[in-house]
Amino acid sequence: MRIGYYLRLALKSLARTPGLTGLMMCAIGLGIAACIVMLTIYHAMSGNPIWWKNNVLYAVTMDSWSPGEPFDSDRPTLPPPQLNYRDATYLFQSTLAKRKAIMYPIKGVVSGAPDQRHPAPVLTRATTADFFAMFDVPFEYGGAWDAAADRTPGPVVVISREENDRLFGGADSVGRTILWNGHPFRIVGVMGGWWPKPRFYDVINGAFDKPEDVYVPFGWGPALQQLPVGMVACWSDESRSTYTAFLGSECNWIQMWVELPNAASRNRMLALMNAYAVSQRKSGRFQRPLNNRLTRVGEWLTEQGVVTNDSRLLLRLAFAFLAVSLINTAGILLAKFLRAAPTAGVRRALGATRAQIFLQHLIEVAALSLAGSALGLALGALGLRAMHWLYAINTVDNSGYQELTHFDPAGLAWALALAFLSTFAAGLYPAWRIGRMPPASYLKSQ
Amino acid sequence: MSLNVRSLTAALLRRRAGAVLVALQVAIALAIMVNAVYIVHQRVTWIRRPTGIDVAYLFVISSSSLTGGFDARAAVEQDLAYIRSLPDVISATATNSVPFSLGGNIGVWLRPGHQGREFNPSYLIMDSAGLGTLGAHLLAGRNFKPEEIRPPDTADDLGDSVAELIVTRAFARILFPNTSAVGKVVYFENGRPATIVGVTDDLHIARASAPAGDSMAIFPSLPSATAAIDYLVRTGPGERDAVMRDAARHLADSNPDRVINWARPLTFFKWHADAENRNMAICLTVITALLLAITCLGIFGLVTFNVSSRTKQIGTMRAVGARRRDVVAHFMVENAIVLSAGVLFGCTLALAVGYWLSLRYALPRLDLYYLVGGVVALWVIGQLAAWHPARRAASVPPSVATRTA
Repeated sequence: MRIGYYLRLALKSLARTPGLTGLMMCAIGLGIAACIVMLTIYHAMSGNPIWWKNNVLYAVTMDSWSPGEPFDSDRPTLPPPQLNYRDATYLFQSTLAKRKAIMYPIKGVVSGAPDQRHPAPVLTRATTADFFAMFDVPFEYGGAWDAAADRTPGPVVVISREENDRLFGGADSVGRTILWNGHPFRIVGVMGGWWPKPRFYDVINGAFDKPEDVYVPFGWGPALQQLPVGMVACWSDESRSTYTAFLGSECNWIQMWVELPNAASRNRMLALMNAYAVSQRKSGRFQRPLNNRLTRVGEWLTEQGVVTNDSRLLLRLAFAFLAVSLINTAGILLAKFLRAAPTAGVRRALGATRAQIFLQHLIEVAALSLAGSALGLALGALGLRAMHWLYAINTVDNSGYQELTHFDPAGLAWALALAFLSTFAAGLYPAWRIGRMPPASYLKSQ
Repeated sequence: MSLNVRSLTAALLRRRAGAVLVALQVAIALAIMVNAVYIVHQRVTWIRRPTGIDVAYLFVISSSSLTGGFDARAAVEQDLAYIRSLPDVISATATNSVPFSLGGNIGVWLRPGHQGREFNPSYLIMDSAGLGTLGAHLLAGRNFKPEEIRPPDTADDLGDSVAELIVTRAFARILFPNTSAVGKVVYFENGRPATIVGVTDDLHIARASAPAGDSMAIFPSLPSATAAIDYLVRTGPGERDAVMRDAARHLADSNPDRVINWARPLTFFKWHADAENRNMAICLTVITALLLAITCLGIFGLVTFNVSSRTKQIGTMRAVGARRRDVVAHFMVENAIVLSAGVLFGCTLALAVGYWLSLRYALPRLDLYYLVGGVVALWVIGQLAAWHPARRAASVPPSVATRTA
């Protein structure tokens, strides 16, 4: 094994044509940088931020839509992603699920905090107590409210860490009172930092938005007769001129999640949903074919189309770009190695085997791969910063596309592997070719 | 010394690996570049299409009610009276959602009782000052009359209150392809009718992803307090930001029952509505430029290297009588052969990729002008890249032929 010797030969060979070596390194570097940037973003977009609970969390959907047409004509097999008030509150009453949460975004204004000059609008989510335990939401102080507060509804609230920083300077505010929409609410919990990407529990109303800052029990919307501010989809022709009529209508605006620990409980839940749908048919509802589902987070994200077509296209483009860079490198390496064929011929004549010539040139390819990959990683980091900036100037307040550009350790490992292996593969053919050269033809003087 | 393309090709084929790699590179580059430029053009065209309103002169102040029993009508009337009294304000209206972030659409039918096809235009709620504030042009019919403006709806169900509407030209053509839409009646979800009183020029102010496309309806109503109440204000040129700041500050304090969420110029919303398309265009342009650079430099580097490897051959050519320009032509033609092969294969690849894109991403099929342009551009650039090394080859003296390797 003469790796050290081959390495010296490789470095001398690379230094002999600095322009070409630089060109190859740049080409590889740029190709790999493009792939790293697009892969990071794609991976972040398509990742499941609660993957450890993928087998127990389910989105509950039922197809109570119009008999005349599917909810989404582009994806006709899917039921509407949200439930209406009647169905959601009925399903919520069942005790089959280990944990269950129904929720919707609602308009909120917070006031009454110390040093607060003006009331401030806040993104609020009305939900039920299990929301926090179900989604592993961390708490800095206090915790969630109890199930009794769901029913009443109790004047209790959970706020995010950022909201706590804004209102109380980050102090322990559990037990203090603030005014939410003009009513006094007692703070029972302050969340820790939490920003799952995508926001899997509500991909309908902004899949990459920052989670809400204030959480109140579900019943406050009806109690204050406030309409939800997320997507509301209605199909029937009944009048909705009063709030009560709205609650009883075929308008879908509530998302429901359940935690079902095993297949048996899952089947029981599905059976309950189907039985309910069938029983509702007697009063003319659920006229569409039975299409009630419990969907896991991973599939839910795919079904709801969280990953944009544009990012998929850019990912493919990045790989094509890398391919061109690698072909470029292979072409240059081939020319270089073939020019050095006489030297290889002399080595063969002196007793080197084909394998040794192959290995010698492979080391050169490896050295180039390493250098190109390092450059590619550096350029990739730069590219991610650029994408971060691009997203940041392009997106509104709480939409979090720029969070997708953070380099994660797993991504780094994959990027390194991709960089090195792809460049190495590009150099394989030239190294193999030079190994096969018959030495005799090059030993004659020209 | 005559150029024999056939012999050059034969020589190339003998050491074809290198030529194949260059041709392959050129082919893939062509396929990518042609389609990328096409997509960029589509996106840029989409961003630059006329909105139908005077975006630069408008700003929005968004407010939310604080209390449950908020009197939206009184608040809106008071706020609009104040805003309209400001000296630099030309016109103002109150609405339910902001242009370029309109998300909702409403169902209308041509016949009562849900019969026939359902149309789902996006919609805006405004009062009679609305069209003037936006700067939308009325093509037929008339604006709303003050008595047609309905009071705010508590449960946000338009169908129960409005009886008139104005539609955009695109929507009017969809509803009534052969006749004027003015005076015709459409029906809401609950079966109640509404008469079309006017038709405006096309408005492209819905969200880019809105399924309604260009169909839009404007309803005469005051916004309700269930969501935000947005004031759309039009000022003279240059006065927008100052008026916006002052108005927002005054409104924040003038009514304790409501809070001002934010005040922004409408250009902010247009900018963010275009964000996705703009990002895509930028990414594609950067990658295409880099690709072109790499391909170009690759050809340059390779030809330079080939020239320096074949000095003996060049010297021999010159020694047997080739002129300088014959040497240049030799390398240029050799490069041209490889480029042509690459470009030929690249055409097929470009068309195939274009076809796949149109299927997979529902884009229109690749326009052949782009293909022709791409072929010419890549071929010319590829030849230019080989020019300098070819010139360098011409300066190899014939005496090199006589030296041993």
